[in-house]
Amino acid sequence: MPRITREAEVSWEGSSARGRGAITAASSGAFAGLPYSEPSRIAASAPETSPEELVAAAHAGCYAMSLAAELTRDRTPPERLEVRAVVVLDEVEGEGHRIVESRLRVRARVPGSDDDAFQEAVRRADAGCPLSALIGAAAAISVDATLEVT
Amino acid sequence: MAERRAEVTWKGDLMSGSGTIDRVGSGALAPLDVTWAARAEDESGGRTSPEELIAAAHASCFAMALSNVLAKAGTPPEELRTSATVTFVPGTGITKSALSVEGRVPGLDEDGFRAAAEDAKVSCPVSQALAAVPELTLEARLVSD
Repeated sequence: MPRITREAEVSWEGSSARGRGAITAASSGAFAGLPYSEPSRIAASAPETSPEELVAAAHAGCYAMSLAAELTRDRTPPERLEVRAVVVLDEVEGEGHRIVESRLRVRARVPGSDDDAFQEAVRRADAGCPLSALIGAAAAISVDATLEVT
Repeated sequence: MAERRAEVTWKGDLMSGSGTIDRVGSGALAPLDVTWAARAEDESGGRTSPEELIAAAHASCFAMALSNVLAKAGTPPEELRTSATVTFVPGTGITKSALSVEGRVPGLDEDGFRAAAEDAKVSCPVSQALAAVPELTLEARLVSD
């Protein structure tokens, strides 16, 4: 069984509210030194990335690949999938901050597919997407998917 | 409550197709290309992947949580360097996330640091979201000036 490892590195200075960190994709080098901090993590919106934003990027990417695979199994590979993930961090009584939800929204252009077949592929992709299963064990996952008429 | 978003566009089938993480809410991540090959082969070819992004989320969450744990204990850190190495088995998913930390923490000994690191590893929001990963491991080490 092939096992693939990927690594990220963070350097952090100071403590909590005044502390700051920088995030680097150590395996690919695709991003490096991305700043982040506690105030920007919990703000309604912020110009800095955060762990939850990185999880959203991971989930959207993972789900897109799973859905592409399912549609290809149906012999209707997608022309274009647009997948948006919204990850929600909230305070949970007695537990502090938790990721409570990841909401996926999909807009798809899939020649040769129809609503029934498409929605079935969407369900299989959700069941088969490793990150949906993983995050879904601790948080609520939902998928709202629309097939564009081509 | 904080919502964070990311948008991905994918074209084609899984094996020969490709995608881009086009946009994230903060604007801090440039467009990032993703492919199945870059995800599922030993060599990433310079492209990120869902698992590398999860590693980044885990390492960054853990660093912040540890900083909090140490500050609350009255021994705030000067510096922490953390890493997360995520193991991915194509077809199965993430089987392991290995955290490691080197810390410069005045006034704290190795045992105290390891205990704080263990506390942060268990309690940080991303660890909680990854609770179903079979192996979440930790190495923690103090460095002195």
